[in-house]
Amino acid sequence: MIARMRSAFTRSNMRRPLMIGLLLPMMLSLTACQGQLIGLLNPKGVIAYEERKLFFDTLALMLIVVLPVIVMSFTFIYHYQVSHRIKDYKPNWSHSYFLESLWWGIPCVIVVVLAILSWKKTHELDPYQPIPGHPQPPLLIQVIALPWKWLFIYPEQHIATVNYVVIPVGQQVEYWLTTDNVAMSAFFIPQLGSQIYTMAGMRTRLHLVANQIGTYEGLNTQFNGDGFSDMHFTVQVVDPSVLQQWINNTKKSSNHLTEATYHELLKPSIGNKPQVFSGIPTDLFNRVIITYMHTIGDVHPRTNEVRNNHV
Amino acid sequence: MFEHLLFGNLTLNAIPFDVPIIMGADIFMIATFLLVIFLITFYRKWPYMWHEWVTSVDHKKIGIMYLILAGVMLLRGFSDVVLMRSQQAVAAGHSAGFLPPEHFDQIFSAHGVIMIFFVAMPFMFALLNIAVPLQIGARDVAYPYLNSLSFWMTFAGAMLCNASLLIGKFSAAGWLAYPPLSEWYYSPTEGVDYYIWSLQIAGVGTLLAGINFVATIIKMRCKGMTLMKMPIFVWSALCSMILVILAFPVLTVTLALLTLDRLLGMHFFTDFAGGNNMMYINLIWVWGHPEVYILILPAFGIFSEIVATFSQKKLFGYTTMVWAIAIIAFLSFVVWLHHFFTMGAGADVNAFFGIATMVIAIPTGVKIFNWLFTMYKGRIILATPMLWVAAFFTTFAIGGMTGVMLAIPPVDFELHNSLFLVAHFHNVLIGGTLFGFFAGIIYWFPKAFGFRLDEKWGIGSFVFWVIGFYIAFMPLYVLGLNGVTRRLDHYANTQYQPYFITAAIGAACVLIGIILQIIQLYVSIKNREALRDRTGDPWNGRTLEWSVSSPAPLYNFAVLPTVETLDQFWVNKHQHHTEGTVHPKDIHYHPIHLPKNTAAGFIIAMFSGITGFALIWHMWIPGIIGLLGVLITWIARTFSTDTDFYIDAETVRKTELAHIKEKV
Repeated sequence: MIARMRSAFTRSNMRRPLMIGLLLPMMLSLTACQGQLIGLLNPKGVIAYEERKLFFDTLALMLIVVLPVIVMSFTFIYHYQVSHRIKDYKPNWSHSYFLESLWWGIPCVIVVVLAILSWKKTHELDPYQPIPGHPQPPLLIQVIALPWKWLFIYPEQHIATVNYVVIPVGQQVEYWLTTDNVAMSAFFIPQLGSQIYTMAGMRTRLHLVANQIGTYEGLNTQFNGDGFSDMHFTVQVVDPSVLQQWINNTKKSSNHLTEATYHELLKPSIGNKPQVFSGIPTDLFNRVIITYMHTIGDVHPRTNEVRNNHV
Repeated sequence: MFEHLLFGNLTLNAIPFDVPIIMGADIFMIATFLLVIFLITFYRKWPYMWHEWVTSVDHKKIGIMYLILAGVMLLRGFSDVVLMRSQQAVAAGHSAGFLPPEHFDQIFSAHGVIMIFFVAMPFMFALLNIAVPLQIGARDVAYPYLNSLSFWMTFAGAMLCNASLLIGKFSAAGWLAYPPLSEWYYSPTEGVDYYIWSLQIAGVGTLLAGINFVATIIKMRCKGMTLMKMPIFVWSALCSMILVILAFPVLTVTLALLTLDRLLGMHFFTDFAGGNNMMYINLIWVWGHPEVYILILPAFGIFSEIVATFSQKKLFGYTTMVWAIAIIAFLSFVVWLHHFFTMGAGADVNAFFGIATMVIAIPTGVKIFNWLFTMYKGRIILATPMLWVAAFFTTFAIGGMTGVMLAIPPVDFELHNSLFLVAHFHNVLIGGTLFGFFAGIIYWFPKAFGFRLDEKWGIGSFVFWVIGFYIAFMPLYVLGLNGVTRRLDHYANTQYQPYFITAAIGAACVLIGIILQIIQLYVSIKNREALRDRTGDPWNGRTLEWSVSSPAPLYNFAVLPTVETLDQFWVNKHQHHTEGTVHPKDIHYHPIHLPKNTAAGFIIAMFSGITGFALIWHMWIPGIIGLLGVLITWIARTFSTDTDFYIDAETVRKTELAHIKEKV
């Protein structure tokens, strides 16, 4: 049987060049533009790196089953064609304990391996947990998704930014996330790792660390209306000393984030330029959450202030 | 006042005269509609249409009507593809493309809704209607009138969805209308209401059809056909329909709660006043995940039938196949959370749902190996249905693989909502479900229509579909890995553009595939005499549907068959010459009891459509008329006693002898 399978193997080689022909340019194009990749393939932080590794480990494990399936499907279909007049025809052979336990068994083993891996990694990479190996206390940044822009508040430093965030290299950052006057969104810096939804009246959390100085792209992945495609922000990863300097400079700025400025930000707008603010309203992040938690009646808390319909 | 009661929020402004793309589509839609009306009138076919089709309760005709609905809606859904793919191919860098976001958002929402509810579901019910009663040796489904009602409800839902193209807007909140985006505050137009009511009406039709098929399969199998002797397609249909019964009420309730939020200012899913949008997202996926298995299980059944038939060999591992289907059906209800690992649940919860998802890969893998070993040591005839199966293996294996990868929560944290995900689910929905349905349509086409489909054009369309699929979706995997999300109406990074252009070329290839399918249909109808199936068994089939003439007579089986084993028809064919059989002329035929046609299903569905339309536009008077219409027709039908008739034995005898004569 094995000999026959092997001969079938060699005979059906014609289709493989086709597959390689399809895959090769794609692989080449991937390596060619390595520098500009902003996603999973080009990680710049521990979490993203771990997630990429997990991606390829899973791929390898799955290929153990998937590759034989693909090869067997072409081989069998080619080899056992009626026109080939194979003598070995068994129209009623339809059961084999050995074979069937093989293909219940092997996937079971693979899934057990995957399950253990998955359980371990899900706990290790839980976005709510601080990243181990970083004794320095995390920098806290509060993020509010606004109608098609992102507001970043540094509560301890008393500064805030729009569509622009500066973070230190090597120090983990804890993000608190919520939204105001826009539908559910998702906060994502692909090269640093995990994304998490942001929801009104709730606080979600995320721990990330950047391991390399540079400028990265952050974005919203959850469709939330007309301005969705432009809801991007710039992530600047800098040396801690540079960060301190930037904070000091920003604090001197005369551009304050007041209640009135925040109210302006609540109005829908698309493609906002990065902005920096010194001074932030007291406890703004928590007040935004509480606004939604405590509203009763059928009037949306932002209805009378700004309507989020059309730009 | 009266005007408001009559027209609600509807004004002439609802018709988008100022948007040329939509107006063009509208004019095309209206022109096609008028042409159909004109042709029916010109050839004086109204009585024929009414008596033979609209009021028909014959499962074979209802199946054909489902097929036509799915085909037409496929064109509608694919025209959305053409728009989306060309928009994304051009809207790079500073270009905003040719579609403004509010239009683009409607297009991708409509695409998802149409492809799942009005293409995949009708295709599935078409095949179920055409094949299941014949495969179990029954004369019709358990509730023929309900079957007609189910179809017309689906039809009404689809037409309501189409109406949004002409009158007003469709939902721009994605195919599952996640709140709070779909709530009144963020979507204060009729769009989401169009979404809700077309799905509600079609959903009721689906639920009723699910009940109907479960009852049919449980109660109407022919003598001797125990559960473990049912053809595997019937098993897959049974499990899929059980899922329908369990899952669709969840959809109905979830959409009803969203309606209460929008219409009466309640707070189930709003982002304030105690509403919780994650509740909706949980509920919709409690329906949504089983839904994808509702679609894929019958496709698995079709592959099983086709692989066995065209390998001319018994299906390998029938018992394990049945168990695999049952396990998949069960597991489909415990994995819904993998659609939103990123909501911020704890690691325990995420890990549980991730692992539960991976477990589904086991029975699915088993099925694939069983199909492979059905071919092993068989004699494979590479007819078009088998070609689709051949393409299915690789495509589905890739889609399944990326599915398991996405099931690992930390990997999903990187790929959620990316084009990698989009590529994954198209990989399984097209490569699994759609390829399966295409294979099934070609396979059962002769049984439904009496002639085969043209092979040459079939191969052409197959080649373009498969190649087009790969060219269209492989770049999306790459883009997804590069952090490109779904639903972008434009993007700043021009490096993505070559991939999007490639994807657009792929979509163009698929379009050629669809055009070739239409040509295939046309050529086959033209050459129907040459392609006619006189034997009733064009593929050397194994199951009971091939034992009757093509198309099957009104009563299906002149004498209800008796079954002793799996694939009884195949066994009979091989033992025929050794055992003595009764000569057809000597068979004693009995009168056959059959249901009478009824217009009740059609009328109820049309009134439901009116009610839905009235609710969308807040029209009181039409709404009440619609609702009363439904109730009155419903009650009137329950008092009707004139619901059945007998075909006399002589007619049966003549029909059967004619078939035998044709055969010889």
